[in-house]
Amino acid sequence: MHRIVVDAMGGDHAPDEIVQGAAEATLGLTGAEIILVGDAAVLGRVLPRMRHDGARVRVHHAPSHVEMDEKPAEALAAKPEASIAVAADLVARGEGDALISAGNTGASVLACARRWPLLDGVRRAALAAVYPTELQRGDKKDPFSLILDVGATIDATAEDLVGFAVMGSAYARLISHNRRPRVALLSNGSEAGKGPAAVVAAHAALVETTELNFIGNIEGLDIPRGVADVVVTSGFVGNVVLKMLEGVSETVVRLARYAHKERLAWRLGLVALSSAIDQLKSITDWQQYGGAPLLGFTHPFIKAHGRSNARAIGNAVKVAHKALAGNLCANIARTMAELDERAQRRAASD
Amino acid sequence: MATRSILRRVSRLPTRLGARIGLLEPEIEPLAPGARPPRHTFRWDLDKTYLRTEFDSLADLAKSAIETAADKQAFPGATALLRALRQDDHRICIVSGSPTQMRQVLAAKLALDGVEYDEFVLKNNLKNILRGRFRAVRAQVPYKLPAMLRSRIAAAAPCETLFGDDAEADAIIYCLYADLIAGRVSLADLERVLIASRAYDDDAQRCVDLARDVPKGSAVRRMFIHLDRRSPPQGFRRFGPRLVPVYNYFQTALVLYQDKVLSARQVIFVALEMLDSGQYELGHLATSVQDVIRRGRVSRDTALQLATDAHEAAKSGALSGRTDLPPFEQIAEAFRARVRELGTLPPGEAAPEEPLDYVRLVDEEHEHRRNRRKQGMA
Repeated sequence: MHRIVVDAMGGDHAPDEIVQGAAEATLGLTGAEIILVGDAAVLGRVLPRMRHDGARVRVHHAPSHVEMDEKPAEALAAKPEASIAVAADLVARGEGDALISAGNTGASVLACARRWPLLDGVRRAALAAVYPTELQRGDKKDPFSLILDVGATIDATAEDLVGFAVMGSAYARLISHNRRPRVALLSNGSEAGKGPAAVVAAHAALVETTELNFIGNIEGLDIPRGVADVVVTSGFVGNVVLKMLEGVSETVVRLARYAHKERLAWRLGLVALSSAIDQLKSITDWQQYGGAPLLGFTHPFIKAHGRSNARAIGNAVKVAHKALAGNLCANIARTMAELDERAQRRAASD
Repeated sequence: MATRSILRRVSRLPTRLGARIGLLEPEIEPLAPGARPPRHTFRWDLDKTYLRTEFDSLADLAKSAIETAADKQAFPGATALLRALRQDDHRICIVSGSPTQMRQVLAAKLALDGVEYDEFVLKNNLKNILRGRFRAVRAQVPYKLPAMLRSRIAAAAPCETLFGDDAEADAIIYCLYADLIAGRVSLADLERVLIASRAYDDDAQRCVDLARDVPKGSAVRRMFIHLDRRSPPQGFRRFGPRLVPVYNYFQTALVLYQDKVLSARQVIFVALEMLDSGQYELGHLATSVQDVIRRGRVSRDTALQLATDAHEAAKSGALSGRTDLPPFEQIAEAFRARVRELGTLPPGEAAPEEPLDYVRLVDEEHEHRRNRRKQGMA
């Protein structure tokens, strides 16, 4: 049985939507138990309003929680019994197997980083995000590519980037049912020698690997095209790219609204396209993807969007369950060990 | 002599044939003169309460109809609970909405499970169809309520416990029955409820007559609603603290232990049957305890007392031969830890005890059923 710990107090719509999503997920996943962490009195009032299985959802009391706009380190220091800290503790103590939070991203990452060890061979954890693309991938026909790191740390060395590639590939294989995900490094040109030193060195290392389907470097414009299934970059660049892509999407929607107001002909055009737009919205709906995984630790952590509703949380639970069932962390550790062994052999032969 | 014998046999033929095709149902036998009345009556529904039954679609209905007794599955813990409730001065009465044609297979299933009962009432839908009473085929209140009243008239007990599910109108019917025999619902109000329930006039009159004759008393101590559809338990709060929605029979056993109906040893037997089913692990049972405490249906003191009593029962052999389980102290500690996880949570807010507007409840239930049918769920 997989015990999935959920920070019930984190997120814009907590606790109601978080509890509903997690509780309803138990109806479809008989092999999972949900541990809701938060104010037991509040959760005790919310939970009976939701459909769930009372033998598979339990509450673990945490008297406080970190607000979305609080500074992570300060908040965790001031509230040692905040729901995210208690939740990460439960997993660290072996009382839970995976963690989900829609709360303050910084506090969530910090809470895990302070309590969970990194996998053998992993130097840095990476936060991955999904981005809608033109192309679909894997048996599930996922219209998303995975970008990592998008902000767990700022800089990344060549070894870190190789580690991110391994972790992203393992995740895509498991969650998107993509047998051989195409992995690429984000750079300012497709040539092997382009980009900062860490990217050039990572390229040289990744070309040597047989475990990964490394397709080389890609540029920013290739991300929405879906040229790669896993896009590897440093946390600083990844975060900037992700925010820019989100900003562009929002601007396009705003422009469409402007067009809607401006001319009758444009309005009619938009009405004619409405079903296609709806279709597009449904296939690029981030809520169906559940959340962004924090990869590299001994346990899976799914960071759900702050605006997550019940459906998004339900999907995050499914992703966590799948990561546990597919032994994601062990797979990453095994690949890292294989790469490490090869590097050592090469060093010895040199 | 021979002619008389032949005539007698011929005269019995319609009765036998009627019973065979389910047109005639055996009457509920009153207690024999001088027989001791029961101390506690337990009334059980079958489908979705004792038996795992699917009838949300026509295919489910057809499958359920052709299943053999061996195919039918009881919910984990239900059989152990029914066996534990079977005592000398207890009476087990089964009132099910299944058609009378299912009697043979259902009786065989109960026999296979080693469940003994005193009454077994099924719904005579063939008779309803032959008489053109199509409304009665679906009706719940006009069928179940008189069946329960008739049963109480035959053998009234000072205590009653009722078991139903969240699929049909069991919560409404059980509360109505409890309030009716306690004298809290007038005959005039009953008539209004029966009209709302679309009972045929003569059926309604018969039900009112039974309600007039039924021995009165606040006998119904507890009602359990098995949340087969996983309906939110909050929806049952309006029925008051006497009605307890439960996710599984371990929770039922816990409440009955608190009510001093079951012993710790009997609770253990229910738990063991659930573990043996392979559908529950010890962790699920511990979480079930936490759930009923959180909902204020069982107190922390009761849970702690059960741990002590169960330890005694385990020492006296209740767990003998169970090498598959960890030592009892380890189990008890896991359960205690699950309760501690709640922190200093104040006891759950008790459900309000307010008079129920049954006409409105029946109307809402009809509306709910209509909506479900529209959505293709029932």
